[in-house]
Amino acid sequence: MRRLEVDGIPAVLAPVTGPAHAGLVFRVGTADEPLARRGITRLVEHLVTDGLSAAGRTSWTTGPEHTYFHVQGSPAEITDFLTGVCEALRNPPVARLATVRDLVQGAQPERDPLPMWRHGARGFGVVSYPEWALPGLTAEHLRDWIARYFTKENAALWVAGDEVPAGLRLDLPAGERQPPPSVATTLPVTPAWFTGGVGWDTVIARSPSAAVFANVLERRVRRDLRDLTTQTRTEYVPRADGTARILTIAEPLPEEPEAAHGGLVDVLASMRAGRIDPDEVAAVVKLTCEGLRDSESRGARLPGQAFNLLAGRDLQPLEEALAEVRAVTAADVARVAGEAYDAGLLMTPPGSTAEWAGYTAAPAMSETMPAGRVHRGRRDPSRRLISGAEGIGVTGRGVVAAVRWDSCAALLAWPDGGRHLIGEDAVTVRVEPTLYRNADRVVREVDARIPERLRIEMPARDRDRIPRPEPAPRDGVARRYAAAILCGVLALFFVSGGVWILTQLLAGPGTGNPRGEDLLALGGSVVFGVLFGRYSWAITRELGSRRG
Amino acid sequence: MIGSSDVVLDGAAAYPEIAGLRAALQRRDWPGGRALLDQLEPMARSAALQACAGEPGLEEFLRGVLAADVTDAAAAALLGHHLIHTGWEIRSGRYAEHVSSGQFHQFHDWLRKAELVLIDAAARHPKDPAIWTARLLTARGLQLGLAEARRRLDRALAAQPHHLPAQLQFLQHACPKWDGTWELLHEFARDAMLAAPPGSPHAVLVVHAHVEHIFGDDDTDVFRYLAAEAVRTEIYEAAHRSIWHPEFRHGPGWVQALNAFALIFTMLDDRRSAATAFTRLGNLAAEYPWNQIGSDVNAQVREARAWAYEGAA
Repeated sequence: MRRLEVDGIPAVLAPVTGPAHAGLVFRVGTADEPLARRGITRLVEHLVTDGLSAAGRTSWTTGPEHTYFHVQGSPAEITDFLTGVCEALRNPPVARLATVRDLVQGAQPERDPLPMWRHGARGFGVVSYPEWALPGLTAEHLRDWIARYFTKENAALWVAGDEVPAGLRLDLPAGERQPPPSVATTLPVTPAWFTGGVGWDTVIARSPSAAVFANVLERRVRRDLRDLTTQTRTEYVPRADGTARILTIAEPLPEEPEAAHGGLVDVLASMRAGRIDPDEVAAVVKLTCEGLRDSESRGARLPGQAFNLLAGRDLQPLEEALAEVRAVTAADVARVAGEAYDAGLLMTPPGSTAEWAGYTAAPAMSETMPAGRVHRGRRDPSRRLISGAEGIGVTGRGVVAAVRWDSCAALLAWPDGGRHLIGEDAVTVRVEPTLYRNADRVVREVDARIPERLRIEMPARDRDRIPRPEPAPRDGVARRYAAAILCGVLALFFVSGGVWILTQLLAGPGTGNPRGEDLLALGGSVVFGVLFGRYSWAITRELGSRRG
Repeated sequence: MIGSSDVVLDGAAAYPEIAGLRAALQRRDWPGGRALLDQLEPMARSAALQACAGEPGLEEFLRGVLAADVTDAAAAALLGHHLIHTGWEIRSGRYAEHVSSGQFHQFHDWLRKAELVLIDAAARHPKDPAIWTARLLTARGLQLGLAEARRRLDRALAAQPHHLPAQLQFLQHACPKWDGTWELLHEFARDAMLAAPPGSPHAVLVVHAHVEHIFGDDDTDVFRYLAAEAVRTEIYEAAHRSIWHPEFRHGPGWVQALNAFALIFTMLDDRRSAATAFTRLGNLAAEYPWNQIGSDVNAQVREARAWAYEGAA
C-alpha cells in the first residue's frame, strides 16, 4: 500500500488480486446538508455522472460524511470515468438538471428515523427527513455546493491496481478541506427511547473493540430474535470525528413487534451486564481478521484508507489492523457494551414504551412556549398559536411545540398558507391558518422572519390534506348537561317575556300606548330568543360535525 | 380426614421448603434460604420464591444481598417477586375498571422497579426459569403485550420444559381480561397438558382455563357451559392424565391440581370425584380458584367439602 498524489489530490494505491478499480471520494455527505438543502449532494452526484460513458462497472454513493465515485475496469475505463466526473464537476451539465432531478426524486433513499431523535434536524439528523428541497434546487445552489465541497483539497483517490492509470487527470477546482460535520445531540438523557419500530443505535468512540462489539451484537440479535423477525441488520459506521455509530434494526413478524422489542431490550441488557462469551469474541475476531485479509486482497480496504486521508489520519497497514483486532478481549467488548448501552437510543414499536426497561423518553415536544400574541383555535379554543419576538409555538390537543426564530432548520411553505417550521431540535410547529383565528398575520410574520435560504416551497396540497378546524374533544356528558341547562334558561326568559307581553295586552286593552316595562319585556324576550336560537344552532351543528 | 372442617390455605403446610424459606427469611438468614433453594427442583424453587414474596420488609434485605453479590439469581428473583407483590397489593387484584388511577400509577411504579431487577437478572441468568416466571407477571401488569409474554414463557420453557409456574402465569395473560382470547386460552392449556408427561400436574391448566372462562365471561351460562359434552370430556380426560394417573406424585403443583379438580368436580355436580379429591387434599386447599366464586375462600371450601362428603358417605 502506497501513498501518493495525483494532480494535488492525496491518493492511496495497492495491488489487488482481482480486477483493478479506483474511487474518488469527497468529504461531503448528508450530514453536511442543511435541511433546506437535503438531497443536494445526491443530486450533484447524479448530475455529474449523467451521460458519462458506461464502460466499466461504475457506481456512486452519498453517505453521511463521504460521497464517492467508483469504477472497476481497464485503465482506460477508469480514466474515462474519473476524468469525466471531474470535468462535470468543473462544468456541471445544468441543462440536464430537470431530467436528473426527476430520476433522483424517483428513487428516494430509505429513511432511518433514529438520527433525527438523536441529533435533531441538523447534521447527522438530517438524513431522517425526506428530500423536500429537491424540487427547488437551482443550478446556482448546485454550483455553490460543488465550489464548497467538490474541490481538490476536499478529495482523495484510491486505486486498486498496480499503478495509477497513465492518462488519469483529476482537474478539480481549488477549495478547502472541510472539517468533519459537527455533532449535535438533542437527547438530554440516555439511554433514551422513542416510538417508530424495532431498533437501537448508539454513538461511541471508534475502536477495534467497538467494531468487534458490533459484530457480537449482530450475532446475538440475530440469534435471540430469529423466531420473531423476518430480518435483522447491525452496522458499524465509523465517523471522521473519531466516533462510531452502531445501529441495529429488526423487521418484526406481523404478530411479534412487542416480543422483538422485548427481545432486543434483553440482548442489550445482557451485553451491558457483561454476558460476553469469550468464545464468541474469539470467533468474531477470527472472522474479522479473515474479512480484513480478504478485503485487502480485493482492495476493499482502500475506500476506508482514502476516508482516513481526508480525516488527516495515517494509512493503516493490514498487519497493524490485524494486530489491533486480535488484541480485543471479551473484557474489552464488555466495557464497550457498557458505554454503548449508556449512550443508547431505543426505538419501540407503535403502542410500546421502554420506561419499564429503564429508558427515558426522548423529548418529542418543547419545554417552554415563547411569549407573544395568542391566536386561539377556530372552534377549539384549547388550541393556541403564539407568535412572539423570540419565536413561535402551538399548544393544545396534547401538543406543545415551539421553534425559536433563530434556531429554525427549515420552513415548509404551502401555497395555501400552511407553514411548518422545523426547529433544529426537530420539534415542528405547524402553522395552519385554517385552524387559528386571524392566522394570516402569523403567516406573514413567519415569511418575514425566516430567511429565504431556510424556506422550502412545497407543492400544492389536496383540499383534504389541509386541516379543518374541529371542536375540542371534551367530556361529552358534562358539556351536554351544561348546554341543555343554558338552553333551558334562555328559552325560559324568551317564553316568559312573551307571556308577560301577552298578559299585558289581554289585561289592558284600554291603554293604547305600550308602557316602558312592556317594551323592556319585549326587548328582553327578543334578545333571549336570539341567544337561544344562536346557541341551539351552534350545538346542533357541533353534534352534526362530531357524527361526521 | 373425612369430616375435617379446617381449611389450610398456606402453601407451607404442603411444601416444607416454603416453611423453611420463610423461616430463613424471617431470620434474615440468606445463606440458609439460598442453600434450601439450591436443593430444590426448578418448579419447586420457582413456586417457593413466589410463595414467599409477601414476607414483609424484604426489599432492603434483598437489595443488600444483591449489593454483596450481584450474580445471586435467587435473591434477584425473590426481590422481583416481592416488588411485584407489593405493587399487586396496591392494585388489589380487581378488574381494571375498579382501580383508581393513583393506584395504577403506584402499581406500575412497583412493577417497573421489579422489572429493572429482573431484566438484569435475566441478562445474567438466561437459563433461570424462576426469573422468567416473575417476568411473566411484570409483562402482564405493565401491559407489554401477549407476544412479549409468549417470548418470556418460551424463555422459561427453554430453561426447563413444562415449567408449570410460568405456564400458570401465561395462562392468566392468555385470558381475554388481559390480552388473549378464549380459544387461545384453551388451546394453550390443552397443548401444555398434552406435552407434559402423564401423571404430571399440568392438567391444572385445563381446569384453570375452564374456571376463567366460566367466571371471566359475563355471557357464559354456567350450567350450559358445564353441561357441554366436550367440556366434561376434556375435564375427565385431564383428570385421567394427572390426579387419577398412577404416576401422579406429591411433587410441585400437586395441591393446586387436586384443589382445582375438587372445585370443578363440585361444579360438575360430581360428588364422588370431588370427595376423592378432597380426601386426598386432607385439610389443604389453595386460594385460587376458590376465590373466583366468593371472597370467603374458607367458607367456599368447607361448604363444597361438606357437600361432597355428604354424598359420598
